[in-house]
Order: sequence, then structure tokens, then C-alpha cells
Amino acid sequence: MERNPMRRQLASLRKSLFDQGYLDEQFMELEQLQDDANPNFVEEVVTLYYRDSARLIVNLDHALERRPLDFSKLDGLMHQFKGSSSSIGAKKVKAESTLFREYCKSGNAEGCMRTFQQLKKEYATLRKKLETYFQLARQIGPMESANRPK
Amino acid sequence: MAPTLPSSDQASDQDNWDNGRLARKRQLLIEIVLRNKLTALVVDGDTTCRVLEQLLLRSYGVQTQGVDNGRDAVALIASGVKLDLIIIDMILPVLNGLETTRQIRDMGVHCKMLGVTICSRESERQVFLAAGVDVFIEKPLDPEHLVPILRELDGQ
Repeated sequence: MERNPMRRQLASLRKSLFDQGYLDEQFMELEQLQDDANPNFVEEVVTLYYRDSARLIVNLDHALERRPLDFSKLDGLMHQFKGSSSSIGAKKVKAESTLFREYCKSGNAEGCMRTFQQLKKEYATLRKKLETYFQLARQIGPMESANRPK
Repeated sequence: MAPTLPSSDQASDQDNWDNGRLARKRQLLIEIVLRNKLTALVVDGDTTCRVLEQLLLRSYGVQTQGVDNGRDAVALIASGVKLDLIIIDMILPVLNGLETTRQIRDMGVHCKMLGVTICSRESERQVFLAAGVDVFIEKPLDPEHLVPILRELDGQ
């Protein structure tokens, strides 16, 4: 049972990320790889994801400015972006990626552009929520170490 | 944007189900002990995926290396590196995953190859299998798929 109010808040925040569909169980898989030797593992992976995928977002933006659209190239870029997003459990971002790829396959330019705008919104929203989550987790981390019986 | 906190702390049915699945996955993570030293190569152009797949394998004690394109994968294997397992994405820079797989098989390499990729069509799955991967797994790679394969390779 959670005694510490901050730990309770962290648990609630975490639950809300799953309940609201921002994360799926892959995020829990990442948490399984976190231990005392790698206490910030999940945050480090998420940071890596946002750093690495920023390049893909820029490339997709540029590719969507070309006329006519190269749907094969767009699909390839989104394939990589979807794989990366799925690896951290970014559920809504992954869903928009899937929809984008469907529009690529059907050659629907407007659908691609509309979906990409939505994808970028979900991507940014998730980033903010995870930043809040990790910030709280980091505050609790040192408190837990201080309170741990010696 | 402020997070929305749930109104109740009581565990829901969904929570219990999730916790049950999580407990089972935890079991998978800890219950395998490899008797032999297995080696693996991860071929993925995406850094996040490649890092995570390598870490997952290492968490089971598999000696793992990674490359980010198909050409480097072929070159590494051609250099004589012995591998028990190759994990490969379908879409890769420089040399795509299908051609990389074919070239690896053409070299006479018979180790287990897992095609781990984002896939939306059965046709893509079949093409990857036809190219030479033994198993097709949709990303992300997870213990439920990986552990039985590691056990098989370890002769358990």
C-alpha cells in the first residue's frame, strides 16, 4: 500500500497514462528492464526515442512538402517511426502512424498530411506528460534512497 | 498540460488483469537461465529499437552486438563471426532487410533468424519468411516471443 503521498501521485499519474491510452504494455516491459543498477533506464530510453525520432519527424515534414508526394518514401520513414514509437509503448502515436501508412498505401495525400499533423500533436502531448512523470519520479528517487533502512 | 488523476484508488478489474499479465511476464524475465553462452546480432536502423532489443537479449545473458544497416550485417557475418541468433528488421538503410536476409542465407548461415518488424500486411510477413527468416515477430520484441526461442537455442 502506498504511504507516501508523492508515490501515490506518481502511481496515479502512471495509471492515467495507461487509462487515457497514451501508453500500452510495452512501457511496462521497459520498466521491467529498470533496476537499481539502471534506476533511470526508462527515462533514458524515452529521451533516446525523442532525440532519435526528431530526425524522422523533420524528414517526414520535408517529404510532405514535395510535389508529387513520394508515398513509398513516406511509408518507409513512417515504418521506422512506428517501430520506434511502438518500442516505448507510445500507443496513440503508434495508432496515428498506422493510419498514416494506410493513407500512403492508398495514395491519399490529404489523409497523410492530416494524419501527420495529428501525429505530431500526440507526440508532443506524450512528451510533456512523460516529462512530468519522470520529473516526479526523480524527486521521489532520492527520497526513497534517503528513507531506505541502512 | 496537467495530468488527470483517477477519482478512486481501488484496483479495477482492468488493473487486476494488467497486474496478472505483468506478473506472468516478470516470471518469463526471471525464470530462464541459459546453460550455454549464446551470441546474437541485432540489425535495426532505428537506434531506440536496436538499443532495446540488445538490452533485452543481454538481460537474459545473451552476448549481443548491433549494427544499423544491412551492409554492415553482411560484412560482419562474412568476417566469420559465429552467431546463434540474428534479429533483423525488414526496412534497413543501405541494404534492405529482405536482401540482407537472402545474402546471409546464401553465405550458408543457418542460425536462427527472427524478422522483427512493423508489419501491416500478411503479404509482407510471407515475403520476409520467403527471404529466409525463420520466425516473424511484429515489433516490439517481447519476452513472450523471445524466451521460447532462447530456450530452444539453449537446448532446454
